[in-house]
Amino acid sequence: MEDIRVLIIGGGATGVGILRDLCMRGIPSLLVEKGDLTNGASGRFHGLLHSGGRYAAKDREAAKECIEENIILRRIGADFIEETEGMFVRLTSDDPLYKDAWLEGCEESGVPVMPITLTEAKEIEPALSPNAAEAFLVQDAAIDGFRMAWQNIASAKNYGAKFWTYHEVIEILSENGKIKGAKLRDNITGEEKTVYCEIVVNAAGAWAGKVAALAGLSVRVQPDKGALIAFNRRIVNRVINRLHKASDGDIFVPHGPVTILGTSSISVDDPEDTSTSREEVERLMRVGEEMIPGLRNNRILRVYAGLRPLYIPEGGVAGRGASRGFAILDHEKDGLWGMFTIVGGKFTTYRLMAEKLSDQVAKKLNNTEPCRTAEETLVNAPTEDEKESAKKYFPAFGLDIATHRLGRVRFARVSKALKKFPSKRILVCECENITLAEVEEIANEETTHNLDDLRRRTRIGMGTCQGAFCALRAAAAYYRVKKGKVNAVKEMRRFLEGRWKGIRPALFGNALRETELTRAIYELSFNIEGEMP
Amino acid sequence: MKTIVIGSGLAGLMAAYISKKRGDDVTLLASGAGTLAQNSGCIDILAYTKDKTPVTSPREAIESLPETHPYKKIGIKNIEAATKEFLSLVSSYGLPYCGDLDGVIKVSTPIGTLKSTSYVPYSMNGAALFDAKKIVIVDVERLKDFYGDILRDNLTKHLPQGIELENITIDLSINGARDVSTIDAAKRVDLKEGFDKLVEELRPHAKEGVVFLLPQILGLRGDKAYKALIEVLKTPVVETTCLPSSVNGMRLVRIFCRAFSDIGINYVENTRVIRGVIDKSRVEAVVAKAMARNVKYEGDKFILATGGFLGGGITLESFNNARESIFRLPVWMPEGEKNWSNEKLFGSCPQGFATAGIMTDNALRPVDRHKSVIYENLFVIGRNLGGYDLFFEHSGNGVALASAYHAAVQSVK
Repeated sequence: MEDIRVLIIGGGATGVGILRDLCMRGIPSLLVEKGDLTNGASGRFHGLLHSGGRYAAKDREAAKECIEENIILRRIGADFIEETEGMFVRLTSDDPLYKDAWLEGCEESGVPVMPITLTEAKEIEPALSPNAAEAFLVQDAAIDGFRMAWQNIASAKNYGAKFWTYHEVIEILSENGKIKGAKLRDNITGEEKTVYCEIVVNAAGAWAGKVAALAGLSVRVQPDKGALIAFNRRIVNRVINRLHKASDGDIFVPHGPVTILGTSSISVDDPEDTSTSREEVERLMRVGEEMIPGLRNNRILRVYAGLRPLYIPEGGVAGRGASRGFAILDHEKDGLWGMFTIVGGKFTTYRLMAEKLSDQVAKKLNNTEPCRTAEETLVNAPTEDEKESAKKYFPAFGLDIATHRLGRVRFARVSKALKKFPSKRILVCECENITLAEVEEIANEETTHNLDDLRRRTRIGMGTCQGAFCALRAAAAYYRVKKGKVNAVKEMRRFLEGRWKGIRPALFGNALRETELTRAIYELSFNIEGEMP
Repeated sequence: MKTIVIGSGLAGLMAAYISKKRGDDVTLLASGAGTLAQNSGCIDILAYTKDKTPVTSPREAIESLPETHPYKKIGIKNIEAATKEFLSLVSSYGLPYCGDLDGVIKVSTPIGTLKSTSYVPYSMNGAALFDAKKIVIVDVERLKDFYGDILRDNLTKHLPQGIELENITIDLSINGARDVSTIDAAKRVDLKEGFDKLVEELRPHAKEGVVFLLPQILGLRGDKAYKALIEVLKTPVVETTCLPSSVNGMRLVRIFCRAFSDIGINYVENTRVIRGVIDKSRVEAVVAKAMARNVKYEGDKFILATGGFLGGGITLESFNNARESIFRLPVWMPEGEKNWSNEKLFGSCPQGFATAGIMTDNALRPVDRHKSVIYENLFVIGRNLGGYDLFFEHSGNGVALASAYHAAVQSVK
């Protein structure tokens, strides 16, 4: 029997934010997620920490929230944010009147903007189009959704939080108009179990409508697909936004060694539909090229899509016209005490959304503790001394990024393993310099159920080779950690098929070449098809 | 006859070799190191039919291939002659191969699957595994990309019951800070102290009925280390395939290098051919970018062996825009997004993109959409050819050798 008061459904940014918030207020909570953390939109977006500039012209309230949260997250989440800064660029073909409205919006929402000359802009962003007419600097940054979620979890666990991944809610239980609990299915073992609680929070993102339906409620969520392209190098040094009315393919976000171009906005019916097509790639490329002329010379690593859970109130619209704001629905008004749904919103404001929702939950539970999520740092970073002494064993390029990924406690364990066992210094991933010791550290965690879980935590398979070399090594490491209880060949095959999904819509240029290398290794040299006699 | 071969993968090297043997004056133009070092060096003729049924006799299976398949243009006689030439070449340079066209050889992979192929060095022939009482799977300390435990798990499923499998880890005392590859280990075994260490580590396990299964580390010098090892251990030893770069591919690179210098082939490295000089329907010369200037190579006969997407001979900078960059030959490719690739990377039908390539007549001269020959003295070989998915059917090296031979033996006016 789990001793909890609140059950949170959904392991995206909002869900993990709520878990941390409630637990910090002393409210015992459990988060359940049907897959791995961030397998929805929180792991499938461009990883942009908005300065608010994107919304300044249209939605000042959203812009204001963004800049406030931007400042808070830089303070509490330095390990998942890369402070790149951002630039808004107006091309000669873009309406100058829009810029005026934008500047006014920024001013009123408190979004700091610094105009720079075109010469300066070209100097710091040499890839920029010669058709740039004006440029402004803002406080955008790059944010890592995977890391952010796991660091929220790590922090929440310090306050007694519980979380179960691969647990899907199959029934929401109530009695006399009051929430009683929920029935769950363990998606790994198939086993079913019941948890009892006073409050259920539906933070299921694009699946929120489906979850609400389990409680007999109707919440209209329109999944809105955003496709993105990841390129294999840092094409730009800062987030580059096109200064025009928000549209497809007009934002570039640099992340470590890669750059993300996004996004599209297409309404879809199925919250599982993250498919992408050649046509979407072409459209994004066409618009992207207007800002970065040599774009096509860069290799595409992969294409992926996430689903924005746009909330459509009665009579509202879908698509880009729909609000990027969020809504909290207390279903007490629908006759179900203890049930909440939170929908819409943006990754940048996840903490604020969690705070507002938690305020309402706390009130309902007569808890008067204030929200403290904005004050406390999410993870403890290793000290400079600890980093310095680990330098001898870590691959030079991988050290800093590994500290961000691992946090102090895990970093200490990985450093120790590297020091003690030279064989664990082998690089599983040569693209991003990830050692066997780190892969084993994460593979050992009970939340790791397959190579994709391992990938989201360590970045194996996310670099240039897209798994061609590391699928084998990661599968082997995983197999050994699991003491031979998994089929390594099946695991690597599944992993490579997952990578293929993102490569396939952009199968030209060097992505095609890399695919042939992958086939040469796994089909010719390893005969992966010959797995069973 | 002056023959110019462009490309230094297995196809190009073989074409140059056969052309020279037949008396041509041969120049081979190579832009880089070529793909042979990445090549497993297993001569796959045909291991799967188009619905992924395993082939038991490549000779028979080739008969039922569609007319568009390169093998059908080359013909079984040429395939046979090509493999014969290859076998005699490798054997005379100290790396004899075994195999034939009427059956398949099973090779063990580092993940314990078995791979069917047609010709391999004796060290890779997996037949001994089936007759073993006990297979000792040998991991090497610090060696990357070989996992004896996974190999054992999977290999068991493919072997007759009753064969005992044991994992051991040996130490070849390989120094240095970076990760150890099979090539590092093979170089170590080529040295006397490395070889002695290998023997010392294996000897205690070498008993009656034992077969050693090793990563591909038995030296880069032909079968020297392999022969010496089975002689002292008096037990069979089998090598697996490996990740690129491949030890066996490197062995072949060395063989071709030695053969070329022995028979006198003009091998020009670091020269990227950028265009052809055309006179009506004949190629007169090719122009190559050398270190500092462009150089023109005139010839009577030209053989294009620059590879496909992987080798770089065919590029696809954007959808529907495949290019062969030297002669601007038309590249056939399946049309439409659906036909371009399958939903799954691995599966039971060939990938459309892998069949993209240049279409030819039966003499392997490039043809246009109307099947008319474009240049009468230009021959297209290896992965430049369209109409087959070599990764799916396992036929890459077979087509490379056979097409090289077929192109090399033809005279031009």
